Amino acid sequence: MSVFGRTRQRLWAVVRRKRFEAGMAEELRHHVEQYASDLMAEGLPREQAERRARLEFGSLEAVKEECRDSRGLRLFDELRRTLAQMARLIRKAPGLTAASMAVIGLCLGANLAIFAVVDAIMLRPLPFPDSDRLMVLYKTYPGVGVDRDGASAANLYERRERSGSLDAFASFALLRYGSAIVGEAGSTRREEITRVSSGFFSVLGISPAKGREFSEQEMTYETDDVAILTDTTWRQRFGADPDVIGNAIRINGAPRLVVGVLPAGFRFLSSESGIYLPLSSSLEERGPGNRHSGQGGELIARLQPGRSVEEAQAQIDALDASIADQYRQPTLMAEAGYRTVVTSLHGDHIASVRSTILLVQGGVAFLLLIGGANLVNLLLMRASGRSKEFAVRMALGASRPRVVADVMVETLTLTTLGAFTGLAAGTAGIHLLRALGADRLPLGARVAFDGHLGVAALLVSIGMGIAAGVPIAWFHLRGGGNPALPWGARGGTAGLAAQRLRHGFIVVQLALAFVLLSGAGSLGLSLRNAASARPGFQPEQVLSGQVSLPGSHYSNNRTRLSFVARVLQDLGRLPGVVAAGAATNVPLSGQNVKSGIGVKDHPLRPGELPRVVYANSVDGDYFQAMGIRLIEGRFVEAADSRRAERVCVVDENVARYYWPEGGAIGHRLFQGPRAESDADLYTIVGVVGAVKQASLTEGATHGAVYFPFGHRPNGSMYLVARTIVPPESLRADLQRIVRAADPELPVYDVRPMEARVGDSLLARRAPALLALLFAATALMLAAAGTYGILSYAVAQRRREIGVRMALGAGAGAIRAQFVVMGLRLLAVAMLLGAAGASLAGWAMRNQLFGVPVIHVPTLAAAGGALLLLSLAACLFPSHRAALVSPVEALAED
Amino acid sequence: MRKSAELLPGTLDMLILKAVSLAPLHGYGVLLRIRQISGGALDIPQGSLYPALYRLEDQALISSKWGQSENNRRAKFYALTAAGRRRLREEAKGWNQLAAAIAAALNAKPEEV
Repeated sequence: MSVFGRTRQRLWAVVRRKRFEAGMAEELRHHVEQYASDLMAEGLPREQAERRARLEFGSLEAVKEECRDSRGLRLFDELRRTLAQMARLIRKAPGLTAASMAVIGLCLGANLAIFAVVDAIMLRPLPFPDSDRLMVLYKTYPGVGVDRDGASAANLYERRERSGSLDAFASFALLRYGSAIVGEAGSTRREEITRVSSGFFSVLGISPAKGREFSEQEMTYETDDVAILTDTTWRQRFGADPDVIGNAIRINGAPRLVVGVLPAGFRFLSSESGIYLPLSSSLEERGPGNRHSGQGGELIARLQPGRSVEEAQAQIDALDASIADQYRQPTLMAEAGYRTVVTSLHGDHIASVRSTILLVQGGVAFLLLIGGANLVNLLLMRASGRSKEFAVRMALGASRPRVVADVMVETLTLTTLGAFTGLAAGTAGIHLLRALGADRLPLGARVAFDGHLGVAALLVSIGMGIAAGVPIAWFHLRGGGNPALPWGARGGTAGLAAQRLRHGFIVVQLALAFVLLSGAGSLGLSLRNAASARPGFQPEQVLSGQVSLPGSHYSNNRTRLSFVARVLQDLGRLPGVVAAGAATNVPLSGQNVKSGIGVKDHPLRPGELPRVVYANSVDGDYFQAMGIRLIEGRFVEAADSRRAERVCVVDENVARYYWPEGGAIGHRLFQGPRAESDADLYTIVGVVGAVKQASLTEGATHGAVYFPFGHRPNGSMYLVARTIVPPESLRADLQRIVRAADPELPVYDVRPMEARVGDSLLARRAPALLALLFAATALMLAAAGTYGILSYAVAQRRREIGVRMALGAGAGAIRAQFVVMGLRLLAVAMLLGAAGASLAGWAMRNQLFGVPVIHVPTLAAAGGALLLLSLAACLFPSHRAALVSPVEALAED
Repeated sequence: MRKSAELLPGTLDMLILKAVSLAPLHGYGVLLRIRQISGGALDIPQGSLYPALYRLEDQALISSKWGQSENNRRAKFYALTAAGRRRLREEAKGWNQLAAAIAAALNAKPEEV
């Protein structure tokens, strides 16, 4: 018979179960009767014959069970039994079901939401073929405080030429993030673009949906008037025109030919770029002189199949070593510890957030443990009430595996039901995380509810169900094996062991809650310390926005200076503005421009490396607008940009390093490795306060130097204005003033400085808020757990309490007994928790700011909070204990 | 009653197939027939007969049909199917080869070694 036929036959047996059973019973009865009548024919009396026939046949039920087994009905029976058991559990213990669904739902939901972030950012591979072979190569100079510098065109072309000695690599490409003015005059918009070398898309393993990628011939300034669009840009700007290839798009005021359209959904890491342009370079820029310039480029590469990162790194190191003596300053490079690092593109992109995300995931895992312990205690209390039932069942022959299976079915039912509430809570949690800024994390846009979460929820709930079932099964097996247990005996060994188990689990809950609470406290304190760190400027009432002058229209210094002068003049005259200035960079903008400096008459001592400082070019009343403190001398002013004499301002860090005794003013410094002539020197005219540039938690830096914009011009600049009206209200005026000076120019990244300060704390605020949320939940669960345990203890000891009261114990003594019991558990938990909190503090030491790993006040506060809550949880049960009436308690049972 | 020979594992199915191959039988009849054709040497434990019958039916080696027994009672009769016939042939062949091999082995004399 075919598999199909057999399945049909079995299904038939299942559906026509009654008929099957009746037929089987009749057949077996017929057998026994026939045998008996044969025995009678041999001369046995009827009664004896029937008895012997039944005896020889054996247990009718056992045979039936075997027959059902033979027909494949057993599995079905088990399934039905299990389903019935699950339904009975939900029906008979709705409180337990609801409580565990809530507890697991809450804890699992929080975990799922965080896991969605971990999955999106760390686990899911990049959306490119064989993305694990994609690498990034960056330069590092740890000796001079530059941990990560990008790559230049020189780095790309040199490596492509030497591919013979770099056979672990399949291909290289360079990219540079940026922005460009897109659109016709009057309706231009500043948009994110990415400049990429030839071969960029092939390195990623992507080919355009239409057209082609850039050729090597398009990588020079004379031939780079081409563009590749993303699918979105193609739809928005060209209405998904199928014949878009060959059309023009206006970028930075010049038309460019569209040569390709990328496949839908293409996105390079977290880039928002809708347009890709060639990353042009001149022959000089590709030359060895530019090996150590950064130019903000990123060099990516694809490894050959089967080659390891270590091999690739070794080949790069060998290549660098072979050309080290050609560097302009070989000893300086060696002292700076120069090296090119080969590392995973994915890993490098998320490196800044990895530890924070793992920390949050670790914290929320604690919550899951607390929830699990909570569930076990709920079940253990229920199990104590059912020990009689289980003892009877085991006496009636239920096997040990049967008991274990029954327990597991129950715990798994509860946890899988919890998984459903957990998935719902997780979805809500993901929305909350988005509101907290999860989508602004690297790859954060990928955070979403997907199948991975469903699988994770299922696996975790099954794991929890089994883990929670073990102590319960242990309890029943132990109780069943102990003849002293049945019939309500209390305080037998199993009872005591069960009590210890319950107390152990509540101690675990309290200790974990303590760890979470103190961790949240430390993170919160770090956030507060960071938020109250003095930024070195006054961010209130300052509007800032960025403008980039295209090189084509602003090729010389004069045109740029006159543009800035006009804009700053108009801005300064705007009602509500008290000071207006410009600078190549503002603090906390997310960009850092650093430059090496030296001081005339300060030759480098042996082993001393040049200082690498934040270099800023300023115009107008930048310092007044920003509210930066003047320590001595004067600020750099607008007039300094328009005079031949070169002056500059240093901050207190630079001044203290070179002139610890004071007297910086009048000395002269230069940019770069050396001053070619005295004409390159800048005379220091003032010392200003230090400003936090990269982040509010930035440690000691080498300092900053401010140059006049006219002597060190830049195509891109920030305009800042200090206002006496809400800064946001001047947003449109700022754009209008810039457009009046040049209708082509959009202002972008327009934000009050306070918003930049606030956003710079995002990486601290979200984890601290989440930790607080987790800790509050943990506290609630632990309190509910303590309350449950004590209430149960009171209910269980009613008779004992009654006897003691009958013998004269006062209500106070009874009450104290239970409070002391709660406090003893808490004391043990605190000891464990303090040890755990120290470990947790150590694990998150990189996230702490101005808070030591072991912070006694935080621990004390966490302990205090837990103590208060535990006391509150003890109060009601112990009060109820004191209300026990001796007469009633003794009359029970 | 003579002491019956021990039933070798795996042979019950083969004996049942042989018994019903001669004529359709009800369960008790299978028991009697095996006893009869083995000259009373093989006695099947009654409890294991029915699970075996159900298993063979599940494997579609035999089929069942309700009918009248010799004493006019309703009884379930088992008959061999085509698949059952094939299986019986294979099993009998395998058994005979095994039996011959074991017999040869037991008859081995020192000079043959």
